[in-house]
Amino acid sequence: MVKPIEFKNVSKTFRHPMKVWDRIEAVKDLSFSMENGEIAGFVGHNGAGKTTAIKMMMGFIWPTAGEIQVNGKDPGDPDVKKSIGFLPERPYFYSQLSGMELLSYFGKLTGIKGTVLRDRSEKLLRRVGLFDDRNRKLSGYSKGMLQRIGLAQALINDPQLVIMDEPMSGLDPIGRREVKEIIRSLKREGKSVVFSSHILADIENLSDRVLIIEKGLMKHFGTVPEIVPPDRIRYKIEFNAPDEMKDAAFSLFKGIRVVSNRFVIDCEDLDDFNVKLTSIVQKGYTVHDAGGVYPSLEEIVFSQSGEVAS
Amino acid sequence: MNNIISVSYYTFLEMVRNKVLYVLLFFALFIFVLGIAITQMTIGDNLDIISDIGLGTIEIFSTVLAIFLGINLVQKELTLKTLYPLLSKPLSRTEYVLGKFFGMIFLIVVEIIVMSLIFLVLLHVYGGPERLIAYLPAIYTIFLQTATIISVAVLCSTLTEPTVGGILTISFYLIGATSYNLVYAITHRTSENVAKVINTLRYILPDFSHFNIKDNLVYGRGLEGLHIGFASFYALFIVLIVLSLSVIFFNTKEIN
Ligand SMILES: Nc1ncnc2c1ncn2[C@@H]1O[C@H](COP(=O)(O)OP(=O)(O)O)[C@@H](O)[C@H]1O
Ligand SMILES: [Mg+2]
Repeated sequence: MVKPIEFKNVSKTFRHPMKVWDRIEAVKDLSFSMENGEIAGFVGHNGAGKTTAIKMMMGFIWPTAGEIQVNGKDPGDPDVKKSIGFLPERPYFYSQLSGMELLSYFGKLTGIKGTVLRDRSEKLLRRVGLFDDRNRKLSGYSKGMLQRIGLAQALINDPQLVIMDEPMSGLDPIGRREVKEIIRSLKREGKSVVFSSHILADIENLSDRVLIIEKGLMKHFGTVPEIVPPDRIRYKIEFNAPDEMKDAAFSLFKGIRVVSNRFVIDCEDLDDFNVKLTSIVQKGYTVHDAGGVYPSLEEIVFSQSGEVAS
Repeated sequence: MNNIISVSYYTFLEMVRNKVLYVLLFFALFIFVLGIAITQMTIGDNLDIISDIGLGTIEIFSTVLAIFLGINLVQKELTLKTLYPLLSKPLSRTEYVLGKFFGMIFLIVVEIIVMSLIFLVLLHVYGGPERLIAYLPAIYTIFLQTATIISVAVLCSTLTEPTVGGILTISFYLIGATSYNLVYAITHRTSENVAKVINTLRYILPDFSHFNIKDNLVYGRGLEGLHIGFASFYALFIVLIVLSLSVIFFNTKEIN
């Protein structure tokens, strides 16, 4: 089966907008391929090269070197777009059209019409929470509403592959959760999703695989546990003590602390974890929670690049 | 084909709802009225003068619209980034450019019809509504001329920013409008060899005199049927060349 997206040694160099002799290497030698039905998250600071990579997937710009295939074809081929949905970064649409008209327009371009088009448009408008605003002109839409209508137009052709550039930006926490839910439901429907974000937390719980890009270079591509080295897993035990044993519990181990009425102890590694857990259980304390905690990707990427995320 | 129709329809819809259009239309009406006010003060056949002003206003207003809306047609979509979602649909860049062009043509046709109706009302007031029939060929050639201007505006719009595009399109208009007289004036004042060169150059420069039949009609000089046919071919020729260039440029353009 053909891969939804495949990059082979792709590089993209831009001319510097000011200095004619300068070149900007936005993407350097990027190779990866996506599997069908997976959610792939692109993550990197602003200016890392995410949008550039996405524009190349869409055939808006062409690689300086290397090759890109989308569903086994050249991204510039209009046929490829039949089964693709795309949400641009900070989307903007024809201000004089209403939300409903925009969906009709884009739906017609993908070849659907009549009642199918109307039903699907209405369903999508409900899904993104814009049904009541469907007849308002887009010039009156807020940033968040534009993001939502952008999502609806990306799904108008019931695409097999959905590409989204910063889908969560410009949304409030509720909106972000809704977008995440839509992405998850796309996966449940068997679709493949690529999306980018400069906020790691948005990506890690959502993506099957994460592609970390920094200054145009791919740093990692894999599942979250693959990217996080085993020695970075922290083990933690949470337990409770009856009143008469509270003082004893404090002197049980060094570094014990109390968090919302529970005793919490961090362990050095897996061995230390087992030793401590056994001892706590033997002494008759009630264990509430025990296990390994993955550091967030944020912590990993921080510690490796030594930079502060924007 | 369906894609081109969709793009032109929604391009038209987007433009026709823009308030700027109505400001311009109001301005055109103002010129009409001003013209009439002036005719009240002059001697001569009122109907002739009104016809002159009427057809002149239709031409100028169509030209202004073609230039100002045309140069923004593609550029605005690039700067506002409305182009990305559109080109993410199964729409080729060629279909996009043609759709934009025809959307603009659609708008100009509607505009010319509206202005002609206003013109008709004026002719009626001054007792000669049947004259409009006689003027239809002139209105048609105004349309042809405007279509060539639109194609150039679209080409500029795919190539460069609106200010430069505007200057280029206005230059095209000015050269087209003056080349005939200019060439005539120059060739009659220089040596034979220079005249030959300039006469050759004439075939490269746009020449709107082929579209100018208004004066013949208004002042009853008559009209050869051939003229209209030639004007149609001439406009089609320019539009085809310029649109082909636009399509070629746009297909090799990075949408950034
Ligand atoms: N058209 C362009 N011309 C010049 N430089 C560009 C252009 N587009 C992007 N860049 C540069 O390429 C780099 C990557 O940008 P981008 O892909 O937009 O990053 P991201 O989406 O990860 O924030 C940045 O340094 C940006 O300034
Ligand atoms: Mg970006």
